[in-house]
Amino acid sequence: NGQPPGKPEMIRCRSPEKETFTCWWKPGSDGGLPTNYTLLYTKEREESYHECPDYVTGGPNSCYFDQKHTSVWTIYNMTVKATNALGSNISTPYYVDVAYIVEPNPPVNLTLEWVGQAYASYLLLKWVPPPRADVRSGWLTLEYELRIRPKEEPEWDNIFVGLGTKYQLFRLNPGIKYVAQVRCRSDRGEWSQWSSESHFQVPKEFKLKD
Amino acid sequence: PICPNGSNSCQVSLGDLFDRAVRLSHYIHSLSSEMFNEFDERYAQGRGFIAKAINSCHTSSLTTPEDKEQAQQIHHEDLLNVVLSVLRSWNDPLLHLVSEVQRIKEAPDTILWKAMEIEEQNKRLLEGMEKIVGRVHPGDLGNEVYSTWSGLPSLQLADEDSRLFAFYNLLHCFRRDSHKIDNYLKLLKCRLIHDSNC
Repeated sequence: NGQPPGKPEMIRCRSPEKETFTCWWKPGSDGGLPTNYTLLYTKEREESYHECPDYVTGGPNSCYFDQKHTSVWTIYNMTVKATNALGSNISTPYYVDVAYIVEPNPPVNLTLEWVGQAYASYLLLKWVPPPRADVRSGWLTLEYELRIRPKEEPEWDNIFVGLGTKYQLFRLNPGIKYVAQVRCRSDRGEWSQWSSESHFQVPKEFKLKD
Repeated sequence: PICPNGSNSCQVSLGDLFDRAVRLSHYIHSLSSEMFNEFDERYAQGRGFIAKAINSCHTSSLTTPEDKEQAQQIHHEDLLNVVLSVLRSWNDPLLHLVSEVQRIKEAPDTILWKAMEIEEQNKRLLEGMEKIVGRVHPGDLGNEVYSTWSGLPSLQLADEDSRLFAFYNLLHCFRRDSHKIDNYLKLLKCRLIHDSNC
């Protein structure tokens, strides 16, 4: 007994640094039989079909395209085929251009440093781009957003920073503990996840900026 | 240093020229993304235009870097020429886009405004790039290679579906090419101005 497999569905593709990318699919029913999946794709300006180069690196139900298999500004047309002993089923074609699926990893090493000066004191927040993002050569340009809140309060204050990797924050309340996070995105791409939290307690006595 | 009221003796630095060009290319790409997304949401949902848009950009005959390795290996002179070629290839279609968008049924003013703004800013960016090329390689205005566009008749087709696809395809291709230009300029700026250490 058993059934042919149900129709799989491509659900998402993501590139963390515009150099590699991963795509995922959702299997249909397996019809009660051992079922295996084959991802096939064509690329713009090419006639031939290729099979997924790496089914492992991206985890279950995924295909990972390393640098050698990744072209930007090129439409990939991909389908997934489910096959078991009683038949097969193919997903609807899925089109993707790596230029528009960039979702970086979060920035790292968010540090909070109190700068106390005669005329004004402020909190200096600094962070570093995600490790595998090549910002240095200009291949990837990242813009950043901060969020901060007093530890005891639920509401975040979001601050769009832009291209810089540090920010000066004035007018914090003396003696209060604060929590901060930072995230990034490539030009018009998806925001990364928020970085891990960093904590800081503002000194009790300092001169408030007028 | 920016030239105070354009005095002759003072020359804008190459770094400032690149800053202006990158700000402009970033702005143009943002506009083109917004315009494409707006058109896609309003006119293209469920029509399967993306499948027909494959291999259909008039600039696909131009050889352009498609990954980081290619973009980093190409000589900066050649990459500057790629940017010039792609920019020049869009002068004509952007001009016609402005006039033809006005004929789309219930075209929102926002799409029309963006088409006009893009056409204007693309010309400015081309002028800026010619200055940059002139500064990087005096006496050389870059090769005159560019890709001709013959898509005007398709923007004027009677059949609405075909005409809408022609617009979709043009906006899809310009979003792609403006992204390439923006990316290449950022690479060039980092390489030539910041010694690849942005």
